[in-house]
Formats: sequence, structure tokens, C-alpha cells
Amino acid sequence: MMNKKTSIAAAIAVALLASVPLFGSDVVVQFGIDALSMATLAQAWNLMGGFTGYPSFGNSVFYGLGAYGTAIAMTKFGMPFGVGLAAGVAAATSCAALVGLPILRLRGPYFAIATLGVNGAMAEIVSNLRIAGADVGLVLPLTRNDASFYELSLALLVFCTGCVAWAATSRFGMGLVAIREDEAAASTMGVNATLYKVAAFVLAAAFTAVAGGIHAYWSTFIDPASAFDSTLNVRMVIMCVFGGPGTVFGPVVGSFILSAIYEVLAAQISTAAALLFGVVIVVAVIFMPKGLADLVQQAPGVGWRYFVRNIRENGI
Amino acid sequence: MSATAHPVPVVQALGLTKRFQGLVSVDGVSFSIAANEILGLIGPNGAGKTTLVNMIGGTIAPSAGELLFEGKPITDAPVHRRAHAGIGRTFQVMKPFPGMTALENVTVGALFGRDGGLKDMGKAREAARGWLEFTGLGRRIDTRADELGGPDRKRLEFAKALALRPKLLLLDEVMAGLNPVEVDEVIELIKAVRGRGVALLVIEHVVKAIRRLSDRVMVLHHGQKIAEGDPASVLSDPRVVEAYLGKKRT
Ligand SMILES: Nc1ncnc2c1ncn2[C@@H]1O[C@H](COP(=O)(O)OP(=O)(O)OP(=O)(O)O)[C@@H](O)[C@H]1O
Ligand SMILES: [Mg+2]
Repeated sequence: MMNKKTSIAAAIAVALLASVPLFGSDVVVQFGIDALSMATLAQAWNLMGGFTGYPSFGNSVFYGLGAYGTAIAMTKFGMPFGVGLAAGVAAATSCAALVGLPILRLRGPYFAIATLGVNGAMAEIVSNLRIAGADVGLVLPLTRNDASFYELSLALLVFCTGCVAWAATSRFGMGLVAIREDEAAASTMGVNATLYKVAAFVLAAAFTAVAGGIHAYWSTFIDPASAFDSTLNVRMVIMCVFGGPGTVFGPVVGSFILSAIYEVLAAQISTAAALLFGVVIVVAVIFMPKGLADLVQQAPGVGWRYFVRNIRENGI
Repeated sequence: MSATAHPVPVVQALGLTKRFQGLVSVDGVSFSIAANEILGLIGPNGAGKTTLVNMIGGTIAPSAGELLFEGKPITDAPVHRRAHAGIGRTFQVMKPFPGMTALENVTVGALFGRDGGLKDMGKAREAARGWLEFTGLGRRIDTRADELGGPDRKRLEFAKALALRPKLLLLDEVMAGLNPVEVDEVIELIKAVRGRGVALLVIEHVVKAIRRLSDRVMVLHHGQKIAEGDPASVLSDPRVVEAYLGKKRT
């Protein structure tokens, strides 16, 4: 799947992205940190929602646990950042395994609703925990070094995308896609569906938690509302689906583009930005419901008829 | 009677029963299939044939009874564990992986399957290619499953089940909807599979095929086994003719 050309293109893209802090302004680097983090979140969501076919609305729980694990370890126990991240990942992956076992039995909308419930419950629990600063939140030690945060976010995205690229061509990924395509048939072929789903959920949780931990340290402040933000999960879904769920690069490219569009809109017309952004999403869903990746693959052959066909198939 | 004269059957069912909300779909059915044997299973619509296959494959749990595979109890084993043990099946309502190509579909079976499968992607693909050739789908390797026509989907379903290298293969109406030429092809395929040492349970409404293939025939009616034995005598049994063949003709 990953041929030589794609690998070279990816390497060049990574090198270009890595050089941004050398010449980019503070604003650009800060935007970059957010965009890279968002792309990682979309990519992690892709593992469950794209490859395995389980649309999770609980990934914001893992983000929040990653953020809180890092913050608590650093502020309450004086641990270094790296240990904090590990604590966040430990919390998020245990949560994914514990919660995943029962709720991964549910399919489609039922799974989505259950994961949404977990997010609400976890926000409630944390806002009553004294060690987590209750509903006031936690203030992390200040280290304003945007360039390092940028490179760290880029490294995480590269690692996460590398894992997804490996999964896409491996036995593990084949099992996940088989589950998405027909879970009963997959089990009948010998795929241990429960194990595979939980493994994908745990892997997604790990990446999401690291992104949450990095963001907590960078923004130096977290509270339950911002750490367990279900609209963040909605953004993961939108970016992944816009780019191409179940593909290796779709979610990354998709979230870069959407982040950029949002940034431009917010700078030009701050008040109506959210509204216009919503319009962009709706138009994208109507004209290219299978995402950018499918557009890039199919449209060169059929041209504008690609959009007509999509609209027809959608019955609009 | 020595042990060698009666080796352990590949599969053995003891009083398998399935009740759906009080309605008995399979009612205390016992049978066994020996290695390399083809057991034909017939019965009118709703007789409980698919339910029986689902209990052997593990997609539904029996309400009562016991199931042994190569002498070991598997009544409560999860579906994937049965595949690892060597039980392969097709679905009457076919279950392809629609978005995957034919090759990818079959590769899943080779990659997982008996004893956990081949594990290696390259080897699995190679094996899958072989099974697609074997079932006559060699030219449709790169076609997406949801773009295959009916008969080709049947072949795909068959190839997927074979790719997991089953010791026991459960075929639920793989000939339904095929024309007589295609039926003959499938009969030859099934014989070739048996030639490789696989035990088969073959469900068919095509009586001619059952007669040609089966070493033994079992008849279900209202969930109960009403006859079992060699094809010629079972298919001429008055009760069978009345319950099944007679009805079929009207
Ligand atoms: N999941 C289910 N829930 C409730 N009833 C069911 C279920 N599955 C099967 N049944 C019932 O069990 C009975 C046996 O069905 P089954 O599908 O096993 O028959 P069959 O012999 O395979 O029929 P056919 O020849 O039409 O395929 C039917 O009355 C059917 O309605
Ligand atoms: Mg049936």
C-alpha cells in the first residue's frame, strides 16, 4: 500500500513541516501546534472509526485523561513531563480496556451513544476529584517554548501515522477492516473480534492521551470542561471523515485543510466563522461523502461527474 | 469393536436444541460426521437447517445439548476459536466483506483461519489466489465483492471458507440460484474439497445434488430429525417424501 513514491512524498512533507519553526512567526507555529495535534486526534480516531467501523465519541475521554494524568503527575507529584505523559497514557489505556470490553459489544449508533455517556461521566468524576483540582482545574508549570512543542506534536503525528500505515498493510489491520465490513463473517474466518476491537481502542486511546498531555503542558491550564470537551470529539470525526476514514493519509490532510480553512475564516470574519465553517462541512458531506482520499482517487477519471454521482447516490 | 474401526468423528452433536422465545427451531438433534464424509442435510423451509449450522459455527448458542469437535466439547466456544479449531462455513444470506476485493476477502480467511492462520501477508495472499482459482474466480481477483454478481458471490463465499483450511465445512445452500451448469461445477468443487480430506455438511434444496454428493443424508422437519441414512433409501422414505419432496412438487 505504501509504495516508494508515497514514502518519499511523506518524508519531504515531514521535513518541510519540521522546518516551519525556523522561519514561521509565533502565530504560525502556534497554529501549527494546534493543527498537528488535531491531525493526531483525527488519525487516532481513524483507527476505531475508520478502520474498525466503530464511531467513538469517547476519544475526548482519553484526551482528558491524558491531560489530567500529565497535569496531576507534574503538579501534585513533581514528576517530569515525560513521566506525566506516561501516567496520562496509563490512565487512558486502562480506561479504554475497561470501558471497551462492555461497550464494544454495541454497534453503530448504540456504541456512539455509550461512548458519549462515558465522556459525560468522566468529566463529572474529575470535577469532583480534589487531586484533579475539582471544577477549578490545574495550573501546570510554565514553559513557553513553542518550537519544542511544535516538534513534539509533529513527532507524535508522524509516529501515529506510521502506526496506522503499518496497520493498513498488516494482519492486524486486515482484521480490523474485516470487522468493519462484517463482524460476524470476520469471526467466522477466525478473527478474535473482541480482542482486536479492544486493541484498536487502546491504541487510539494512547495516541489521544499523549496529544492531550502535550496540549495541557503547552496551554499550562486545564479544567474539566476544556479537557473533556465532546465538541473536540466531534471535530476529530469531521476531520477524519472529511479526509477519508480508513485511509492512511486522508485524516491528516483533511485536518490540515479544515484547520487552515477555520483559521482563515476566524481571522477574516470572527463572528460568522463557526457558521461558515459549518457550511463548508455540509457542502463537503454532500459533494464528497467518501472523503478527500476517495475524491483524489476517483475524480481524475470521471471529472465533475464524480460530484453528480455522489449526490445521486446520496438521494439528494 | 476396536478404536481404529470407529475413529473419533470430526463433529458430533448430542441432543442439540434451539428455542426462540418458546418456539423450538431445532429439537434434540443428534448426529455425527466422520472425517472425509459428506452428510447431506435437507428439509422444508423453516425446518431448522440454518439454525443447526449456526449452532455448529457458534453464531447462536444452543438452548440445550452438546457439541463435540474431534471429541472435545466446543458447545460454549466463541466463533473465532471454532475457526481456529477447523470449522469453516458459508452463510445462506451471504456475508462478503463488501468494500474489499475478492482477493482481500479470501486473504482474511487465509490470514486467520485454522490454527490462527498463516500470519504472513504474502503467503496468505498466495494461498488466497489459489483458492480463487480453485473456485473459478481467478479472473475476478481485484473486483470488489459488492460488484460481483450472484453466482460469483457464491464462489467467493465458498473460497473464503476454504481459505481457512477447514477440517469441517458447513455449506448452507451454496447452489441456490445457480443454473444447472453452475450446479454441476459446484458439485465437482465439493467433491474435490472432500478429496482433500475435509468433512462436509451440505444443505441443499437441489435434491439431485444431494443424491450425487452425499454419503449419508439427514432430514429435518419442524426441527426434528425424521430420517437419516444412505441417500437412496432416505430420499424414497415415505415420511420424507410427504414432508419434503411432496410439498416441494406442489
Ligand atoms: N434469530 C431467530 N429468531 C427467531 N426465530 C428464528 C431465528 N432464526 C430462525 N428462526 C426460526 O427458526 C425456524 C428455523 O429456521 P431456519 O432458518 O433454521 O430454517 P431453514 O431450515 O434453514 O429454512 P430455509 O430452508 O428456508 O433456509 C424458523 O421458523 C425461523 O423462523
Ligand atoms: Mg436456511
